Amino acid sequence: MSIIMISSDVPEMENRIAEGVAEEKGYDRLDRRILADAALRYGTRPERLNEALESAPSLFRRLALRRWRYALACIQAEVLDRMLADNLVCWGLAAHLYVNGVSHAMKIRVLSGKEADAKTAEQMGVPLHKSERWRAASSKRRKEWTMAAFQEEEADPSRYDLVIRLDQIDPVEAVRTIVGASEYRKFQSMTYSTKCLTDLALAAKVHVALSESMTDVRVQARDGSVVVSTRVPNRQKRKKVAAIKQVAGRVHGVSYVEVHAQKGFFKRTG
Amino acid sequence: MAIITISRGSSSLGKTVAEQVARRLDYRLISREVLLDASTRFQIPEIKLEKAIHDAPGILERYRHSQQSYVAYIRSALVERVVDDNVVYHGLAGHLLLKGLGHVLKVRINAELKRRVAIVMERDKIPEEAARRRILEDDRQRQKWTQSLYGQDPWDASLYDLTICIDTLSVDMAVDFICRAAAAEGFQATESRRRKAQDMAMACRVKAALVDEFPQVGVTCDNGNVLVYTGSGGDRGSGKLAKKLRQIRDMEEKIFHLETHPGVALPPDAV
Repeated sequence: MSIIMISSDVPEMENRIAEGVAEEKGYDRLDRRILADAALRYGTRPERLNEALESAPSLFRRLALRRWRYALACIQAEVLDRMLADNLVCWGLAAHLYVNGVSHAMKIRVLSGKEADAKTAEQMGVPLHKSERWRAASSKRRKEWTMAAFQEEEADPSRYDLVIRLDQIDPVEAVRTIVGASEYRKFQSMTYSTKCLTDLALAAKVHVALSESMTDVRVQARDGSVVVSTRVPNRQKRKKVAAIKQVAGRVHGVSYVEVHAQKGFFKRTG
Repeated sequence: MAIITISRGSSSLGKTVAEQVARRLDYRLISREVLLDASTRFQIPEIKLEKAIHDAPGILERYRHSQQSYVAYIRSALVERVVDDNVVYHGLAGHLLLKGLGHVLKVRINAELKRRVAIVMERDKIPEEAARRRILEDDRQRQKWTQSLYGQDPWDASLYDLTICIDTLSVDMAVDFICRAAAAEGFQATESRRRKAQDMAMACRVKAALVDEFPQVGVTCDNGNVLVYTGSGGDRGSGKLAKKLRQIRDMEEKIFHLETHPGVALPPDAV
């Protein structure tokens, strides 16, 4: 029983491969269709969550930036919660960027190759070089988004268990390869890997609860104990620590809350 | 039947994977033999060839072109070795030197630095810091070499058909993936692909014969018709070039036709 996360440089190809794998394995699908439920659960709009996955606001628009980070936190919490069910294929939700250290969660990257450029050019009715330029611009925007959201380089091959380029390997063959890989024992859920995922899911739930009213919080969880790190000036420290303990303590599954208040900057907020 | 190149950072278990793939598919396994071939054919010490394919070009290289020549020799030797396919190559830059051949399965094996350091410590009996420095320097040289000669980053996954993380997937799994991919239709050696490989071997031979005196030429071959492009450098040295080409024509029986295209930019598939 495993989790398969698929990422691609072309959304249509990501969709195609993921659907193929889910079909072949008989697994559940975890994609942007869950955003409606996530929006309902966290009291926001589905369009806002969808937009959060597409673009990042300017650093100068503080309110928009805060809402964006909250939207991302909601998505992470929803995704990680659903992943506890196992046996699913996940795509379109950037899960490969924040689901780390879970051994039964396989990460696959699919690169579309030159044929995709030719196909895009044909569909758009433009010369090939324009399609290539459009794709390069799209990749650049995507890179900026992943760095802003998770401070991660999405194209870094070391993030993935396997990267497949589709120039000479056709999508059907790629699906077969992924399905075959998922059957290896290494990608079957075990007690420890399930525990890691449970901890991640709990941390994400606490993070979203805190993100409603505060920024600059980082949450880690282990067996129900939660450690929240935050940045706060000395004069507000006591008040903020108390607020964090109160909010985090109310989240189902949390048995203990510890707060580390610091003055420095964080690399990431989740 | 395919040609498989396995690229990797140093001490990333790529050699182990290559050996097992070759064994399972009953393919020939080549690596160092390419340098020996090139050394024998072109009368260049093997150590110089190894340096040319391993180290980034130095400042003087811009004026000497020796590295360019050595790479051309190595490329020619490599293409000769793979022209009959059913081969696994696990040396340096295979995915770049065999660019243009359709039935080449290009594989990259990645391993975490920590693991590579442990391998080097064990193998070379050196402390951790020394092992780390050696690996990082090696990576740096690879990166510089690939950037300066091909304008690409060797870690870029888009250069390869498969990139496998050997830390999470075992050697056996990696071998499975590679063997399965090698059976895919996209990597089968059809008649036209074999023909193209033979043409590339010819183009590489002609290039290797010219590169020392004429480092800027590009060569293509199509069904035995060899075209030599001199770029936009004008007609300087054309008499010398013509004489050299006549010598090559005399030596190479399989050249059906040979002509030069002076002042024409090199096509993208020229060697």
